[in-house]
Amino acid sequence: MKKNTLIIILFLPFIMVGQVNFSFSSKSVSGTDLGLVDMNNDQLDDLIGISTSNIQIHFQQPDGTFNIVNHPISATYPPSWSMAVGDYDANGYNDFIWGSGSGAHVLQANSDGTAWSVVATSTDVFTQRTNFVDINNDGHLDAFICDDIDPNEYFMNDGFGNLTLYEGAQYATANGGDCTNPDDPISIDQVGVPGGLGIHPRGGNYGSIWVNYDGDRDMDLFIAKCGDCEVRRTNELYRNNGDGTFTRIDDIANLDDPINTWSSAWGDYDNDGDMDCFIGSSTGSEQHKLMRNDNGVFVDVSVASGVQACQNFYHESVFVDFDNDGFLDIYVNGDILYNDGDGTFTVEAQASTGLSGFGGALGDLNDDGFIDLFRNGIYENDGNSNNYLKVCLEGTNSNKNGIGATIELTTAAGTQIREVRSGEGFKYMNSLTAHFGIGTETEEDIISLIIRWPSGTDDLILSPTENQTLCVTEGETLSLGQSLVEDLILYPNPTKGILNINATYGFENARYTVFDMNGRQIMNSKFESNSIDVSNINSGMYFLRITDSGKSRTQKFIKN
Amino acid sequence: MSKNCAYILWFLCVSVILQSCVKDEGYVEVEPDLISPVTFVLDSVPYLTLSEYNFFEGDLNGLDPVYGVLPFTLNSTLFTDFAKKKRFIWMPSESSASYVNDFSILDFPIGTVLIKNFYYNNVMPNNNTKIIETRVIYKNNEDRWSFANYRWNDEQTEAYYTTDGEVVDISWLENGVSKSVNYEIPSPSKCVTCHGDFNGGIPIGVKPQNLNLSYNYIDGAQNQLSKWADMGYLIDDFPTTIESTVDWKDESKDLELRVRSYFDINCAHCHNAEGYCNYALLRLEFKNTESLVNLGVCVSNDFYLGNEVTHIVNPGDANSSALFYRINTIEEEFRMPFFGRTLIDPDGVALVDQWINSLNINCN
Repeated sequence: MKKNTLIIILFLPFIMVGQVNFSFSSKSVSGTDLGLVDMNNDQLDDLIGISTSNIQIHFQQPDGTFNIVNHPISATYPPSWSMAVGDYDANGYNDFIWGSGSGAHVLQANSDGTAWSVVATSTDVFTQRTNFVDINNDGHLDAFICDDIDPNEYFMNDGFGNLTLYEGAQYATANGGDCTNPDDPISIDQVGVPGGLGIHPRGGNYGSIWVNYDGDRDMDLFIAKCGDCEVRRTNELYRNNGDGTFTRIDDIANLDDPINTWSSAWGDYDNDGDMDCFIGSSTGSEQHKLMRNDNGVFVDVSVASGVQACQNFYHESVFVDFDNDGFLDIYVNGDILYNDGDGTFTVEAQASTGLSGFGGALGDLNDDGFIDLFRNGIYENDGNSNNYLKVCLEGTNSNKNGIGATIELTTAAGTQIREVRSGEGFKYMNSLTAHFGIGTETEEDIISLIIRWPSGTDDLILSPTENQTLCVTEGETLSLGQSLVEDLILYPNPTKGILNINATYGFENARYTVFDMNGRQIMNSKFESNSIDVSNINSGMYFLRITDSGKSRTQKFIKN
Repeated sequence: MSKNCAYILWFLCVSVILQSCVKDEGYVEVEPDLISPVTFVLDSVPYLTLSEYNFFEGDLNGLDPVYGVLPFTLNSTLFTDFAKKKRFIWMPSESSASYVNDFSILDFPIGTVLIKNFYYNNVMPNNNTKIIETRVIYKNNEDRWSFANYRWNDEQTEAYYTTDGEVVDISWLENGVSKSVNYEIPSPSKCVTCHGDFNGGIPIGVKPQNLNLSYNYIDGAQNQLSKWADMGYLIDDFPTTIESTVDWKDESKDLELRVRSYFDINCAHCHNAEGYCNYALLRLEFKNTESLVNLGVCVSNDFYLGNEVTHIVNPGDANSSALFYRINTIEEEFRMPFFGRTLIDPDGVALVDQWINSLNINCN
């Protein structure tokens, strides 16, 4: 009997109100079951099973059933170690990257998403975590491959459908000499990413998580590392300098940890606006760690946070709000570390959660707003009465999936942030749809949803309704073309000073508020005449919201 | 040839024969100094073809070693998808290795070359022998080990230097039973993963504990260590008693010695304190496995393999033992060894199964 069963018995009287249960139902996919992603753009997450000869997709239907479609392929390497999904050629259909201990492939979808073919291959990589990510922020998704025994490899996308493979660094001998003091490389990437990303000659690279940890628009890289001499297994953090180069700063950031880890989870668990880091230990002889992001330097809160009560050591850790209470919990190999909302976590072990100890792909398999798990069967989140909001992104100047975008949801309770990522944890591909739990809050409490795209564009949606999947196209909220409401007309628009309001209804006890594109209130007053003087505000785009007897109407205008 | 040439040739042959048959009373035989005809210039290696080294005489694929190239084997050998091996060692003249201890590789001189040929017999469709690769490890001018791999052509006339990994599909008859494999020729980084410690690349098998056996040389059977000493390859100051591994396939040997020998050669290169998987608790070198903890016996399994796999080795129950699970699977994510095999070693699995079930230990 596993020893953590005993811990659960002790904890039973103290189970937090916010926990959820999971119901298991059999379901198998042909091939290695690795992905839970919307593959046909219907905002419903689908199941993916992969072999070297077939991609089998179970398309989730609105009625809860699955439509199974097989797609024959011809690949040399199976996805033994990981798989990731992203639309690298931005044709509207997701593509794949996956790899084995010998090589890795990128497979491209055809023009209508009904077939895939291998378009790029690395024939000498010991694949671990794979990701689609826009490394150089040119609006096109690149692909990254962790290498267990060599410097990491990556494909750079030139935006015209061409992927170029970079191997990071070359050494005179494969072992690079001494593990602790390796030889200097004889060559190192000067194109692609100058200096490479993780170039110890013997690798040790397991879990690459691309995360915007410093709040600018470019992607930084954290590599969870494992095995062999200390230098090889010290985790690495690369800050993206925004100019195509990266600087390794794990020592400055206090993330240069030598514990053996296959993956880390990144999320804002304390809702203070920046991404924190949970480092999952892969051996029982080292404990899990939680590193709280304090303005770019990470503070070790492992003991105080209670995460070390989790005694489940493997290779999957992901931040997910399972109980939709608005605080990110941590999935650790089948254990759930429930966020108590005060900086501490309560552990429910895998023997109690009943989730797969092998990890699995995370997403909403029945579109009920609660995150489920798939691994050789459906682990359906039974949920509770809490509310949620899901957000799916479509980039235009930014990459098509919005990978790397930060999504900020501000409610009366505060602000939560999420990032869209391709390739979290170690092995699986989770849904690309962002998910927020908001507890008992509703539309009235929801203030704003802001998408901060990698391109620099921000989109703002005011007071979205709860319990839906909102899809946002980059820049859609910035044009005047589409009226938010038909019966509220502003003119002239743009305006230099006076904004006239024409409505098909009268206003009795109305108030008006002007919001800027960050959701900040600029003006707020009683609505007395049919015009507002905006000459004193800065040039830019704004929202005007008029609230009368509890009903709000919002319209966009430009001040120039 | 012309009649005249034939006569001359016949005459010469007869003269030679007559000469060698007649011994003068005062004739003293002088043994010519035997010089190894191997070509091995450290500044020039690795050569682009295997034949350039001149390790073998006659047809290259006969693997018939020239003088100085000594065949050798080990008590227990690594399972590599049923491929057979022919191993050889060569050293420059006036160079010798020295004994360190029973369980460490010998201290080899610069210029030492270890040669390992991988081949299959009864390969389809022609039911012949096919050599796939020849792996060479040599000690370079910096006193560190270098690796060079040679890929044989289909005609079996030559092997070419390669730094590419490759998958070769092979079908063959193993004891009359048809088998097939996607045989993996490793890329250089994979070599180092097994053949490496913190300091760099190393050979694995050439330790006294593994070499201590009687080999049938052409001129008679002899203990390998003493043969190497006779050749001048090993300084003759090693102990007469060496704590040695056994041939794990020899069922007359003690079961525990067989299992420990199996683990030593199949696992210990990663499962040691300075190996690729040093973060796991297993320590599987022969010298360390008198200890049950180092073998994982009664150690709880942390790395999830299913709820039923509770220990690394669960005495009496192979099915709840992670170690057994891993040697009994071909799934890349779980299998042990990590690479070097894509098929299951049925005899090895049977051995470990027998051993686990023989353990009469209560873990509590």
